[in-house]
Amino acid sequence: MKATEEIMGDMHQEPQIVFENVVKYFGDVAAVQKMNLSIQKGEFIAIMGSSGCGKTTTLRMLAGMETPTEGEIRLNGERINELKPSERNTPMVWQSLALFPFLNVIENVEFGLKMRGIETGERRRRALEWLSRMEIEEFADRSIDQLSGGQRQRVALARALVTEPPVLLLDEPLSALDANLVVRMQGVLSRLQKELGITFVYVTHSQSEAFAMADRVVIMSKGVIEQIGTPQEVYRKPASQFVANFVGSNNILSGSLQSMDGSSVTIDTEIGLVQANLPVDRACLQGSHLGLVISADAMSLSVDDDSSNSSRTHINQTHADQPSDNQFRCRLISEEFVGAMVTLLVETDSGFELRIQLFQKELDQIGFSESASNNGTFLWVSWSRESVYILP
Amino acid sequence: MRNSERIIRAILIVYLAFIFIFIFTPIVTSIIFSFNSDRFPTLPLGSFTLKWYETIYSDPDVWEAARNSLIVAVSVGILSTIIGFCTAYTDFRYQFRFKNTYLALALLPPTVPLIILALAMLAWFSKIGVSGQLWTIILAHTVLCAPFAMAVIRLRLQQMDADLESAAWNLGASEWAAMKEVVIPFATPSIISALCLTMAVSFDEFAVAWFVSGLNKTIPVIILEILQGNIDPQINAIGTFVFFTSMTLVIIAQLFFSFRSPKTP
Repeated sequence: MKATEEIMGDMHQEPQIVFENVVKYFGDVAAVQKMNLSIQKGEFIAIMGSSGCGKTTTLRMLAGMETPTEGEIRLNGERINELKPSERNTPMVWQSLALFPFLNVIENVEFGLKMRGIETGERRRRALEWLSRMEIEEFADRSIDQLSGGQRQRVALARALVTEPPVLLLDEPLSALDANLVVRMQGVLSRLQKELGITFVYVTHSQSEAFAMADRVVIMSKGVIEQIGTPQEVYRKPASQFVANFVGSNNILSGSLQSMDGSSVTIDTEIGLVQANLPVDRACLQGSHLGLVISADAMSLSVDDDSSNSSRTHINQTHADQPSDNQFRCRLISEEFVGAMVTLLVETDSGFELRIQLFQKELDQIGFSESASNNGTFLWVSWSRESVYILP
Repeated sequence: MRNSERIIRAILIVYLAFIFIFIFTPIVTSIIFSFNSDRFPTLPLGSFTLKWYETIYSDPDVWEAARNSLIVAVSVGILSTIIGFCTAYTDFRYQFRFKNTYLALALLPPTVPLIILALAMLAWFSKIGVSGQLWTIILAHTVLCAPFAMAVIRLRLQQMDADLESAAWNLGASEWAAMKEVVIPFATPSIISALCLTMAVSFDEFAVAWFVSGLNKTIPVIILEILQGNIDPQINAIGTFVFFTSMTLVIIAQLFFSFRSPKTP
């Protein structure tokens, strides 16, 4: 929310960070290709992708550890391509943390201030302030190897933030922590970013980290940006097949256009005819090959009680208030519980696997029982026209 | 199975014991005879005496040699360690073509037979008219010792997270400041180790020193001179002194060499 205020205020100004046609080659290998990216002041942006997609190279170029082969990177409107790492105030939290093992906690935090020639007393005071802000002031005189993973994380954050930079770069900082701690540190990071109002550029391969914290996510593959958008946009309206696959928990169908009327389209897919709303931008209907995305949580399920073909009536009775546009008979393959959510993998008659995400409560309501389903009872999966998204 | 393992173990222990016996018996013998009053090293021993130590203590030639050895060892230690550090850091920091060749060349000198290295040095120094001076020994020994220093420091730098130096730059350190504040502190144990090791090698080195030294004799050279004249128990006294000096240096080197900083994941 803060970010949007800032954006409105600085409308006439250039964004804080701009990548303009940036290309980076390592030898013959293009790590980043023709990248254009603008980051507003105070934004929490996450750059995502699998390993080798160029996300870390992007971050390292911002920090000055790598120099772009072509293009321009601007920070606050000034070209920074040629600046040495020490000449920019773009501190980074490293994946390895890169804490100095021969210095104790407070000396680590003081390092950036020492390098800027700030005198001892002042430096100690500011370092202590950050240690207490990160709730680790009692460890000030400990050596690094006496700290737990989470405490080290906080030291790394304090060390990076002590110089009060305009931007903080984070390179998969939570990848070494266990799951519980990751969630806690996500909270710490989000809160910190909002309090400080500075820009966070966060590189990760983890969708849950990115979606939990970021205002916008950048999805990269093979050195190319596939999509930039809010987590909701990326999740509901993936710009490409790659993104749809990458954000997971989506069902991706492919097929060809069968018919079209004023409000809906019918597409012939692997599982049969699928109804979808007529998209606003009809350009995506061109071409022989259409990609459809239906997210797993948009699907609902009902149980067939007599295994005969009268089941269709049965569904229409139970879901009388919201008739489904798309219904397919299927068989359970496997199920997986994560807390209150259940992910079911089912196979349609045509042998295509679909993923369905439901609350345990919903499953109980429809009278689903695992044993019955395993005995070959048919299930019916259904979803509405609105939940079908056609890939551009 | 267990039985055969036990036998192998026993054989290995005996083998190790023999190695130690063969290495240390002559040295221990020499130490014992340095305190023996008899002119010739024979059993049974005569009475305890410090006379041989007094003899070398009052011998100005031995003092001169000790002084030369000290100057050479300290200079060589410092020079080789500096060169070794630079070579090792180059290897750590930079990627370039023919890097393996560079490393092989840097490690080459100790593989050349000493006598050949010594002769070549002598020929070269006389050719340019500088032979027989103390600094030529320093130069020759540095050539010999720098690779040891490099090997020791390189092993330590290999344990360093490459991000550590980048992190220092990232926090505003210039390349020199990062070197002073991060790389050198990290490498300090290996630098001390390299310093002691190269000093020990230089202190003990005979062949090159003998060829190159001229009138500026070092301790190993003067030992040979005394030995050539006659059998003299003061050799044992000097030997004892040299042994303990070298052992001290090597043990310090080893202690720092095996230093491991606690792992930070």
